[in-house]
Amino acid sequence: MDKHISTQFDNELTGVSTRILELGGLVESQTRHAVYALAQFSSEVADQVIASEKQVNLLEVEIDRELASIIARRQPTARDLRLLMAISKITGNLERAGDEAERIARMVKQILETGTPRNLPSSELRIAADLASGLLRKALDAFARLDVNMAVTILKEDDLIDAEFNGFVRKLITYMMEDPRTISASLDLLFVAKAIERIGDHAKNIAEFVIYVVKGADVRHTALTEIEKAVQ
Amino acid sequence: MPDSKPTQNAIEVRNLDFYYGKFQGLKNVNLDIAEHRVTAFIGPSGCGKSTLLRTLNRMYSLYPGQRAEGEINFYGQNILQKGQDLNLLRAQIGMVFQKPTPFPMSIYDNIAFGVRLYENLSKSDMDDRVESALTKAAIWNEVKDKLGQSGLSLSGGQQQRLCIARTVAVKPKVILLDEPTSALDPISTAKVEELVSELKKEYTVAIVTHNMQQAARVSDFTAYMYLGELMEFGVTEQIFLKPSRQETEDYITGRFG
Repeated sequence: MDKHISTQFDNELTGVSTRILELGGLVESQTRHAVYALAQFSSEVADQVIASEKQVNLLEVEIDRELASIIARRQPTARDLRLLMAISKITGNLERAGDEAERIARMVKQILETGTPRNLPSSELRIAADLASGLLRKALDAFARLDVNMAVTILKEDDLIDAEFNGFVRKLITYMMEDPRTISASLDLLFVAKAIERIGDHAKNIAEFVIYVVKGADVRHTALTEIEKAVQ
Repeated sequence: MPDSKPTQNAIEVRNLDFYYGKFQGLKNVNLDIAEHRVTAFIGPSGCGKSTLLRTLNRMYSLYPGQRAEGEINFYGQNILQKGQDLNLLRAQIGMVFQKPTPFPMSIYDNIAFGVRLYENLSKSDMDDRVESALTKAAIWNEVKDKLGQSGLSLSGGQQQRLCIARTVAVKPKVILLDEPTSALDPISTAKVEELVSELKKEYTVAIVTHNMQQAARVSDFTAYMYLGELMEFGVTEQIFLKPSRQETEDYITGRFG
């Protein structure tokens, strides 16, 4: 971001950009902890994830307030406008990714309380979960550096998570058909899997907004081949 | 609402160079002004935007030593050619200036004065013309009970709308606005901006403004000028969301300088 005539405007844009990275860091660690809680079946870590939700919500409100203030006072245009629009959308996506992490944490606690049969393939969720939290980190990096190529990579990787999710669902169905007593626990795991898949989607949305900021092209709901053409 | 659908061109500027004596104020400008659309000119002071506007009805011909080369085709006719009836041209392409310039006469006569130069209307036809011009300029309700009062007795914003009514009264095709609101308060500015959107239904409007947000609000097309050159010209929304040139982006985001 090269300089505006108004350094105060520069400071405001830098300020809100820093704030969203802070929110991103928080949600990313929330996701990682949720994955850890799932892998280790740790009730304590799950509690931490649930507790940090408050902080995420506070930051979301604070960022929205700053955005509204900048728009009202500066009437941003072009790249500045696109950046602020993107930050607004990214905030929403991060907050919801945080909700999904919280959901995973709550499921972990529930599974612990009901005593899920150990023969269910819960550990297989870790691959997808690691992919999703990694993707979220990459999306934040791409935003911090306004790196379009990285953003495109993220769009491709989200397909991997979707594939993992579909595979996992098929596996759960087999378990449920073999032994109907696992249905209730399997449904819990299905919700966890869905939450992981959603985190991947939020990371993907963030990557799309990186492309919007840099290239001015709205690539939502667009085929990957079209997107690659747009970022050339 | 902004409307960037293509229409016929009212004015086509081709290879236009403009000189103030030896100084070249415009360099090879090419652009089209679409009929029934608002075209805005933005750029820093001295970029040539007012100069360009003043070539469009040959206002510059009032000043010795100023000359234009190239073509300005107004519905196909090159107005830079010799033998133009400049008074008739300026009735067809009217102009409103930065500072309101009402004549020191009654509100009624401010409007009727120009009309009398071109047309011989009966009293009742003239009354109708005055009312219709003042109505189109959105000031009729404010002045209808004091048409005999001096135009100078009005507020700045009203004076500016009176000047727009005066331009409208001679039935122009194009209206040129040279920073029409820079001397007005925000409410008067909003009224003039509202009026611009109304005017484009009947006329073609070209507006020079220092206020970029005003260009964004009122225009369908925007031209960004710098050092006498047309840097970028396009659909207003495009210019303000994703301009194609870095220079335009720097200017409209306030990174210029």
